[in-house]
Amino acid sequence: MYRLSKMRFGFPIGLFLMLFLDGSISQIFSVHLFSTPSVMISHLVVLWLVCGVLFEENMPMPLVKWAIAAGIVFDLYYTGIFGVYIFVFPLIVYVTRVTIKYISPNFLSGLLIYFIDITIVEALSFVASRVVHMTAMSGSAFLVNTLAPTLALNLAMYVVLYFPIRGVYNWLK
Amino acid sequence: MQKFSFNRRLVIIIVCLIVSFALMTVSVAIRNKKSTPPLIQQFGNDIVGLADRVVALPANGLRGSVSSISELLNTYQENQQLKKQVSELAQTKVRDQTLAKENKQLKQEIKLNGSLTDYTAITAAVITRTPSSWQNQVIINRGASAGVVKNMPVMAGSGLVGRVSEVNKTNSKVELITDNNDSANRFAVTVSTKSGKTVNGVLSGYKAATGQITMDNLTTKSKISKGDKVITSGLGGVTPKGLFVGTVAKSVGSDYGLSTKLYITPATDLGDLNIVTVAVTKQ
Repeated sequence: MYRLSKMRFGFPIGLFLMLFLDGSISQIFSVHLFSTPSVMISHLVVLWLVCGVLFEENMPMPLVKWAIAAGIVFDLYYTGIFGVYIFVFPLIVYVTRVTIKYISPNFLSGLLIYFIDITIVEALSFVASRVVHMTAMSGSAFLVNTLAPTLALNLAMYVVLYFPIRGVYNWLK
Repeated sequence: MQKFSFNRRLVIIIVCLIVSFALMTVSVAIRNKKSTPPLIQQFGNDIVGLADRVVALPANGLRGSVSSISELLNTYQENQQLKKQVSELAQTKVRDQTLAKENKQLKQEIKLNGSLTDYTAITAAVITRTPSSWQNQVIINRGASAGVVKNMPVMAGSGLVGRVSEVNKTNSKVELITDNNDSANRFAVTVSTKSGKTVNGVLSGYKAATGQITMDNLTTKSKISKGDKVITSGLGGVTPKGLFVGTVAKSVGSDYGLSTKLYITPATDLGDLNIVTVAVTKQ
């Protein structure tokens, strides 16, 4: 039962911890991550949400609500442009939920799902930034300089953090 | 029934898209026009900023200790070099103080209360950085209550790094000079050439591939050479005069051959920011 478990408080705390860690990682490793022209963005929030779906199993959690909350904080606090991540994060939860209907969730299939999710996050934020003229980057430059390094970083993080996060989720249940 | 559910999903998607675009347009418009964000956003950002410090302070502290260990290795050599520089600096500083004093007296003499070079500094620490490739933006721990106002220039190390783009009560966002978006406020700068001439212009963008600031549309006849210093000119608003931007790396003809384009090497390493200074002009 979600209502009675530690998950009820543990999940949001973990979510916001990951959200703030994203910013702190970007700040601490800014020399390495933002070495121009290629840019790596850490998306630990997305990892936490995707893992929420993967380890949900027989305990449904209000993931979409928390995804919206994380999206609001991300938009207001980090970017200052409201209306991008508030829709992207719930979409990620939805996409992941649809995908695991077809593939049974395990370490490797999770890696593939996470690959798709990061691509969606980056592509949609790119489109949104192009629309409001936050960037003038061309599509091909986006693929090479942003999407590829970001995917590499986040898949590596997935591999490193999958088992620790699973441990945390099992403990919270 | 199947058809109905498909239509409903389509409607939801379209409504979401429209709402998303509307929200983005409104927030960009507010960001460009108003001096502060709406009160709810400010309040929310202040609370989130406080919560973020719980994570950011230990993380930044950890980073400090790690880097201090790695820096220990070449401390001895650096110390030797710095000792030499310090003795030179002391003399420059004394002279600087004398000149500043003289300048103040002269200003009093002609009843000039504040000129373009006068500013006071607010020191702030960088809490966190926006994890996004589209915005080179950091969040600092000083806001409106410390006297920060939107569009104020921000410095780090020896030079200009950006401008304040959003002000909350206890934290504010700083858009770095490396940000290339359309709404970025370009700084009015002046180049002092070796022959003693000054050339005024506006910074036009940032070239990510080489890490250089560009300055376009210069129609001057005076020769600008490599190594000429670029400083802010203090024209047109809140930026004081005399903030160091960088040195000229290359001067080329622009794409159409009518004007000159400059590439400027920034004075500060823009990747690594910990402590920044907000320059407040007296108005």
